[in-house]
Amino acid sequence: MFGKLNWSAIPIDQPIPLITSLVIIFAVLGVLAWTGIKGWWPYFWREWITSVDHKRIGIMYCLLGVLMLVRGFADAIMMRTQQAMAVNAPGYLPPEHFDQVFSAHGTIMIFFAAMPLVIGFMNFVMPLQLGVRDVAFPTLNSVSFWLTASGALLVNVSLFIGEFARTGWLPYPPLSEAAYSPGVGVDYYLWAVQISGIGTMMTGINFVTTVLKLRCTGMSYMRMPMFVWTTLASSMIIVAVFPILTATLAMLTLDRYFGFHFFTSTAGGNPMMFMNLIWAWGHPEVYILVLPAFGIFSEIFSTFSGKPLFGYRSMVAATLFICVVSMMTWLHHFFTMGAGAAVNTAFGISTSIIAVGTGVKIYNWIFTMYGGRVRFDTPMLWSLGFIFTFVIGGMTGVLLAVPPADFLVHNSMFLIAHFHNVIVGGVVFALFAGLEYWFPKAFGFRLHEGWGKAAFWFALIGFWVTFAPLYWVGMLGMTRRLQHIDFEAWRPYMDVALVGVGILIVGALCQVIQLVVSILQRDRLRDVTGDPWDGRSLEWATPSPAPFFNFAVTPNVEGEEAYWGIKQRAIEAQTLGPEPDYQPIEMPVNSGVGFFNAFFATVTGFALIWHIWWMAALGLLGAFIAFVVLAWRDVHEYEVPADIVARIDRARRASRAAVLEQLEREGAPS
Amino acid sequence: MSVVDFPASREAIRRRREDPDRAGQGGHGPSEPVAGTGHGASGPASKRIIVGYGFWIFLLSDIVMFSCFFATFAVLRNATAGGPTIREIIDIPRVEWETACLLLSSFTCGLSFAATNARNLLWTQVFLIVTGLLGLAFVLLELQEFVDLANRGIVPQRSGFLTAFFSLVGTHGLHVTVGGLWLATMLAQVQVKGFRREIVHRLICFNLFWHALDIVWVGIFTIVYLLGSIA
Amino acid sequence: MSTEQKHSLHPGEWQDSAPGDEPEDSPGHWIRSYLIGLGFATALTIASFWIAAAHPIWGPALPVALIVLAIAQMGVHLVFFLHVTTGPDNTNNVLALAFGVLVVGLVVLGSIWIMDHLSQNMTAYQMPPM
Repeated sequence: MFGKLNWSAIPIDQPIPLITSLVIIFAVLGVLAWTGIKGWWPYFWREWITSVDHKRIGIMYCLLGVLMLVRGFADAIMMRTQQAMAVNAPGYLPPEHFDQVFSAHGTIMIFFAAMPLVIGFMNFVMPLQLGVRDVAFPTLNSVSFWLTASGALLVNVSLFIGEFARTGWLPYPPLSEAAYSPGVGVDYYLWAVQISGIGTMMTGINFVTTVLKLRCTGMSYMRMPMFVWTTLASSMIIVAVFPILTATLAMLTLDRYFGFHFFTSTAGGNPMMFMNLIWAWGHPEVYILVLPAFGIFSEIFSTFSGKPLFGYRSMVAATLFICVVSMMTWLHHFFTMGAGAAVNTAFGISTSIIAVGTGVKIYNWIFTMYGGRVRFDTPMLWSLGFIFTFVIGGMTGVLLAVPPADFLVHNSMFLIAHFHNVIVGGVVFALFAGLEYWFPKAFGFRLHEGWGKAAFWFALIGFWVTFAPLYWVGMLGMTRRLQHIDFEAWRPYMDVALVGVGILIVGALCQVIQLVVSILQRDRLRDVTGDPWDGRSLEWATPSPAPFFNFAVTPNVEGEEAYWGIKQRAIEAQTLGPEPDYQPIEMPVNSGVGFFNAFFATVTGFALIWHIWWMAALGLLGAFIAFVVLAWRDVHEYEVPADIVARIDRARRASRAAVLEQLEREGAPS
Repeated sequence: MSVVDFPASREAIRRRREDPDRAGQGGHGPSEPVAGTGHGASGPASKRIIVGYGFWIFLLSDIVMFSCFFATFAVLRNATAGGPTIREIIDIPRVEWETACLLLSSFTCGLSFAATNARNLLWTQVFLIVTGLLGLAFVLLELQEFVDLANRGIVPQRSGFLTAFFSLVGTHGLHVTVGGLWLATMLAQVQVKGFRREIVHRLICFNLFWHALDIVWVGIFTIVYLLGSIA
Repeated sequence: MSTEQKHSLHPGEWQDSAPGDEPEDSPGHWIRSYLIGLGFATALTIASFWIAAAHPIWGPALPVALIVLAIAQMGVHLVFFLHVTTGPDNTNNVLALAFGVLVVGLVVLGSIWIMDHLSQNMTAYQMPPM
C-alpha cells in the first residue's frame, strides 16, 4: 500500500537528524501558525505565492537560497568538526552518516543554495536593467521557482523520512546503482535534482528569450549592462547543458528502477559514461554560477569607482568566450580515469585557455578602478576580497589543469580547497556584494554599513583560515571525504580549519545581525531617491522599492550606461525631463499554477522515491490537471489605469526633483 | 550584434537587386542607424515572436537531451553482453513504414498550420486529425516492434546495448506520444476557442515540435537502423 | 505586457521572425514550400534506404553516405518546413541553431572520443561469459 515506506524510515535512533528535523518542523509550523493568526495568509497567497512578478520571484529565490545556504553551512560545520575530532579517533559521526552529510552538503550548496541565489539575482535585476516590465514568460518563471522549491523540500524531507544519498553530490555508479545503494537515499537525490532541474531549464529558456527579444527601445546589444550580458551567457549555458543532466540522471533512474544497464558494472553497462556525461554538465554548471557573479562585480566596480566599466567590448567578448569554451573542458574532472595522453592533453589545454577569459575580466576590473574615485562601501569590499581570493583560486585551478599535476592531487583536499576557493571567493562573495548593493532596490532601505563590513572581514579571514590548511594537507596526501584520519601529522591542519569555521560562523552571525538591525533602523536607512549608490544602469531610475510595473513609460535608451546619461542631463539642466504621457499598462495576472504544479511534483517525487505507485500516478494526474486549468484560462492580462500609473510615477518624480533641488542648493556637481 | 549581410535568402537578394542603397525597403533598422546599435533596438518584440523563439530554444535543448541518448547508444553499441546484436533486432520494412508515416505527418502538420494562418478552421482541424492519425500509426508500429522483441526475450534489461537501443528509440516514441496528446488538446482548444492569439501561438509551438520530432527520427533511422543494418 | 508597445514598422524596418513562422503573407507560398520539402525529403529518404539495402557504393563509404543524406534531410526540414533561412530576420534563430549544433557535436563526438580512449592503457580484456 505504501511501497517501501514504513515507520522505520523515521530516524528515532539517530539523534542528530531527529532533533534537527523536529526543530525544523516546529519552526515551519510556528511560522505558518503565526502568519495565519496574524491573518497574513491571503496577503502571502495573493502577493507572493501566486505572483508572477520577476521581482517577487527573485526575492523568493534568494530567500530559498539563503535558507539552504544555512543548512549547507551546518553540514560543513559538522564535517569540519568530525575531521578535527576523528584523528586516530572515531569522532561523533559514523561513516554512514558522514557520507550523507558530505553528499547533502554538496548537493544543497550547488543545487539549492547557489543556483537559486544566482537565479534570484538574475530574475530581480535583469528586466529592470533592460528597461522592461517583466521577463518573457512570467508564469513560467513562477513555475520554475516553485519546482526548485519542491526539489529543496524533498531533500529536506529526507532528513526526517528515510535517508539521503551517500554517494557524494554527483552519484557515481556503480555505487549509486540499485545493487550497491538499495536504499532510498539516491532516489531522493535523483528526484529532487530532476524536478528542480526542470525548473532551472525553464528559467534558462525564459532568460535567453528575454534578453534577446525583450529589450526597451534603443537598448541594442552593445548598450546592455554587463550583468545582462552575463545573464545571457549563463542562461545560454543552462539551456545547452541542463538537458545533459536531465538525460544522465534519467538514465541512472532507469537503471535503478527498471534494471537497465546504462551504468551498471555488469551486462555491458559502462559506469564511466556517467562520469563523462555528468561532468559534461558539471563543468559548465560552475560557469553558470560564476558568470553572473562576474556580472555583479562589473556593476559594482564601475559604480563604486565612479567610472564606466573599462573595456566593455572586451568584457563582452570574454564573457561569450568563457560561455563557449566552458563546454569544452569537462574531462579535467576525470584526468585520472584512463583516457590517455592525447585526450588529457587536449582538455588540459582547453582548461588552461579558459582562464584567459577570466584574466581579461580581472584586468578590466582593476583598470576600472584606476583613475576613478573609489568608495569603499561594503559591496566594494566584497569585490576587492573577491579579486584577491578568486585569483588565487583560479591559479590553483590552472595548476590542476596540468594532467601530470592533477594525477597527484585529484580528489585530494587540494581539490576541495581549490573549488571552494573559486566558488566561495567568486560566487558567494558576489552574492553578498549583490545583496548589499541591490537590497535597497528590493526593500526600500539600505543595509547597515558597519555590520556589513564586519561580516565581510570575518568572512574573508574565516575563509582563508579554513581553506589554506586544506591546500597544504592536500599536498601532503590527504584525500577528500575522510570520515576518520589516521595520520597524526594532519591534525594541526584540521584544527586550524576548524578555527576558521568558527570565524565564518561569527561572520554569518554578523550578517544576520546586520539584517535585524537594518530592519529595526529602516527609517534611518531609508532609500528615498531610489538611487542610493549613484548608479549607472536603469534599475536605479526606479524608486525603491520598484513599483510592480517597473517603469511608468519604458525608457528610450540613447547610449551606453542608460541611466547615467539621463541623470547627467537632468543635473546639467537642473530639471527633470517633461512629464511623460501616462498610458494604461497591461500586466500579467497572477497564477497559482506554479504552486500547484510544484505541490503535485513533490507528491509524485516522494511517491516515486518510496515506490508508492498509485500516489505517483495521482500526483502526475494532479500536475497535468493544474496545467490544463492554466491552459484554459481566458484572461491573461489586466489593465492598470493610467491615473494609478501617473500617481505612482509622480511620487517618484517628486523625490527626484527634491534631490535636484538639493544639489542646486549645494551648488556642487553630482 | 552588428548588421551582417547573408545574401543567401531570396528575399535578401531581391532587396539588394532592387534597392542596393537600401534607401527604402529592406533597411536594417531605423533609417538612420546609430553606429554600433545594430538590430533589436526598436523595443520589445511581439508576443508571437517571443513565444516562437522561446519554444525554439526549448526544442534545441530537447535535441541536446536526445544527443545524450545518441552518444550513449554510440558508446554502448557493442556492449551486447553475449546477447543479440543490432542486426538481429532491427526490422527495416517496419522502419520504412514508420518513416513514411512520420514524414507525411510532418507535411500535413505544415498544411494545418498554413490553414491556421489563413484562419480556416475546417482545414486546420482536418489536417491536424490526419497528422494525429499518422502519428498514432507511428506509435503503434513502434509499440508492435517493442512487443515483438520482448516476446523474443529481447528486453532492455538484457545488455547495455539493448538498454541504449530501447531508451533512444523509446524516448523518441514517448515524445511522439506526448505530442499526440498535445495535438488532441489543441484540437479541443481550437474547437472551443477558435483562433485566439494564444491558441495560434500554441499552434506555432506545436508545429515546431512536430517537425523537430521528424528531424530527430531522421537521425534515429539513419544511425540506429540503417547503419545497424550495414554493420 | 510587452504588447502595449504595438510597434508599427517604419518603412525600411523589419522584425525578427519566429522560427517556423513568417509574416502572415500568403498561405500559397507556404504550401509550395511544404510540397517542395516533401518531395526532397522523400527522395532523400528513399535514397537512404536504398543505399543501405543495395550497397551500390564501396563498403566503407556507406556510413558516410548515409550520414550525409541524413544531414541533407535535416536541412530540408529546416529550410522548407521550418523556414529557417539565412535572412537577417532569422539571424537569432540561426545562431541559436548553430549553438545547439555545437553542443550536440561536443556531446556526441566528445563522448565517443573520450569513451573510446578509456581502454587506452589497458591490456586486451575479455568480457567474462554471461
